[in-house]
Amino acid sequence: MTKYVLRRFLHAMISVIIVVAIVMLMIYSMLDRQNIFASDPQYSKVSNNQQVVYKYRKWQDFGYVDYITYADYLSQLQKSGEIDQETYDKAVSIARTPDKDTDIFKDYSAKFEAYCKENGYTVQRLNAIMNRKKLASGGAPQYFAYRDRPLWKRLVSYFTSIIKVDNIHAVKEDVGERGLTFTLYDPVYGGEKFSPAIIGNGTRNKYLLYFDNQFPYIHQNLVSINLGVSYSINQGVEITTTMTRSQGSYVLSELTYPSGLTEQSADDLHSAVYQAGSREVNMVAAERFTDDYTSVQTVKSGLSRMGYSFTIGIIATMLAYLLAIPLGIWMALKKEKLVDRIGTAYIVFIMAVPSVAYILIFKAIGAMTGLPTTFDVESKSKLMFVLPIVSLALPSIAGLMRWLRRFMIDQMNSDYVKFARSGGLSEGEIFTKHIFKNAAIPIIHGIPGSLLGALTGAFITERVYVVPGIGGLLINAIGAYDNGVIVGVTLFYAVLSVVSMILGDVLMAMVDPRINFTSKAR
Amino acid sequence: MENELFDLEQFGLSNEELFSRVDHSETESEKITAPRYSYWKSVFRVFFRNKVNIIMLGVLLIVLLLTYVYPAIVEYDPYANLMDGSAKHLTPSAAFARFGKSIHWILGSGGSGEPTFDAVWYGARISLTLALICAAINMTIGVLLGAVWGFSKKLDMIMNEVVNIVGNVPYTLLISVLVLVLSPSFWTMVFALTVTGWLFIAYFIRTQVIIIRDRDYNLASRCLGTPITRIATKNILPFMTSVIVTQIAIEIPSYISYEVFLAYIGMGIRDMSLGRIIGAAQSAMLTPGWGYEFWSPVLVSAIITIVLYVVGQNLGDASDPRTHM
Repeated sequence: MTKYVLRRFLHAMISVIIVVAIVMLMIYSMLDRQNIFASDPQYSKVSNNQQVVYKYRKWQDFGYVDYITYADYLSQLQKSGEIDQETYDKAVSIARTPDKDTDIFKDYSAKFEAYCKENGYTVQRLNAIMNRKKLASGGAPQYFAYRDRPLWKRLVSYFTSIIKVDNIHAVKEDVGERGLTFTLYDPVYGGEKFSPAIIGNGTRNKYLLYFDNQFPYIHQNLVSINLGVSYSINQGVEITTTMTRSQGSYVLSELTYPSGLTEQSADDLHSAVYQAGSREVNMVAAERFTDDYTSVQTVKSGLSRMGYSFTIGIIATMLAYLLAIPLGIWMALKKEKLVDRIGTAYIVFIMAVPSVAYILIFKAIGAMTGLPTTFDVESKSKLMFVLPIVSLALPSIAGLMRWLRRFMIDQMNSDYVKFARSGGLSEGEIFTKHIFKNAAIPIIHGIPGSLLGALTGAFITERVYVVPGIGGLLINAIGAYDNGVIVGVTLFYAVLSVVSMILGDVLMAMVDPRINFTSKAR
Repeated sequence: MENELFDLEQFGLSNEELFSRVDHSETESEKITAPRYSYWKSVFRVFFRNKVNIIMLGVLLIVLLLTYVYPAIVEYDPYANLMDGSAKHLTPSAAFARFGKSIHWILGSGGSGEPTFDAVWYGARISLTLALICAAINMTIGVLLGAVWGFSKKLDMIMNEVVNIVGNVPYTLLISVLVLVLSPSFWTMVFALTVTGWLFIAYFIRTQVIIIRDRDYNLASRCLGTPITRIATKNILPFMTSVIVTQIAIEIPSYISYEVFLAYIGMGIRDMSLGRIIGAAQSAMLTPGWGYEFWSPVLVSAIITIVLYVVGQNLGDASDPRTHM
């Protein structure tokens, strides 16, 4: 069984990689790449040549192209010792137009072009844009080369950068002695309370392992999953952070900074990340910290996007199973009677009415009962969870009921049930020990899917009730041309879906000893 | 018949006069004297036995007339009253007072002063046409390919992986990319909904074919040398009619529902379909007096889908030969 699951898992991972490749192909090759600037405020601020350069630089950041400037090329030469600082300084200045080029510039630009040709780059030179004998804003001459990044390269670099392991050489700058220290008394808690932690110097995160009072109490920053960076919907923030960072208002508490300063603050010192030179430019940081691990996140009162979606989703799923199973059995028992007819009418209603419409209908009905119809992160009231949960549970109840009734009725007509009845078993016994056990197997198959599916959120429900959840992430990203988020979220969904399929099969095989995936098919 | 035994003596005739010999005929003896059975006649007999179906068919007829005939005979210009501020967001009674009593205004007016009743049926025509075309394309390709898929082991291996992969590409993403690359037109939407839609129907049919394929009577048929194509068309497809009809009943409403969803998230088509109307009017839902704009298209789409679903389901039940007894 283990071997089979491993093989399935391997197959699934290959499928996931192909899915990501297809999605990348769609968004990077089929869509107009100009679209990514649609909601970029910076783009409209820069003008002329600078805008062109900005465009290419951003396209490089988001994986469209490889981009190299003439100056980059020269500093590369300088680093390898081919030219000295003096030559670099002389060669690097670009004349306003090609006919004013110096000889040394001509020499090196010829080399640059040869290098670009060799590596498949396209060279572009933008002449200075003048405005009454003065350089126009952003009109400085530019000299650079670019090449489209092929799909396979993008795919490889994406998948190799997914799992990041923090190490003591992660920080390039000089930070003194690099290494890990293990302490039993976490300095965040004043250095007196017993709380083990691993602190790194030279690593990206200061705290690699620590304890706190939040579930699951032990936390690590050593291995992080990086699904990519958002471009427009949450600019510059990693997707995993967007999904898991808590929302709401700041939670202030008495905090002692490493420098000994005590202040009311919402900073989470455990999340400290290295930021080069931050104490030099930031007075506040210099006051609080003794090293450059100054970039901290804040403690907020609400849950994360995923947290809200998962809370609502998981309760709704459990509620759906708890209600749908007895109701489905009841419908099957009273086949063609009143209960069955009412149930069927409800199932038809859910299947036939557009999902947008019935959720709005639930909302309108819910509003009449006086329950809150909009979600408020600041509110402590648990009542605001009620309507989203109910709206999510009601449709899935219909779906589960439909299938359970179908499976039960199919089983009721089978020979072994007739045999059991002729053998004198009571109806109750037949139902619980024979029919239900067999009918439940396909239902059990779907349980991991519904539980993991709660992590992906529900778009319409969240939008209707203004839940700050995860359901709209993909659709918002599509609307904002946020390629990074689209790819990241697709990967996340695809992994969840394949994992839940495998788990479903495993669970089914555990429940039903007749199902065996390892032996060859008949 | 019990008491109708005759005493032959009462006729006073000889045996030769009473009886005559019938010639033995080889061809006649081959005929089976069972009541004539016509498959489709039985389907409709069972279908019409249920009174609900007759009512539903009547509603369906009215819906179809309103969807296809009404827009054809009525002139409708959504922007006729665009500049008239007093014509917007009217309740039916206010619209009657403003424009006089006519069928156009029985549901009030919408955000640009258009009669909601007309808008809804124009939208329904687009949505229903979209659903019917998509269902026709997907079902045709899906059923034909699914039948082949169920029989070929080699194809099965390849196609299972294809389903694994295509099934995980977010459908919303696929549709929005196609809409962005092409244009948000009616035929783009048809293309987007059919480009991968057939795959899941084919997968469903394939599973059904596999279940029936290895039954004993098909095994026997194959042993007797029946070609695969004949087994597929004569032995398996008739068995699947009910499954296919049921599937159609699920498919058509699902396209309408999906179209509404896409319009709701702002990725729908350019034409004022039912989905677009619902999407545009969602803010009007809770505004007092504007409710008609939102609830009318919702109700109409619900009626269309429920009627089609119930008719389809019951037709599916009726087309199962086991119900023909």
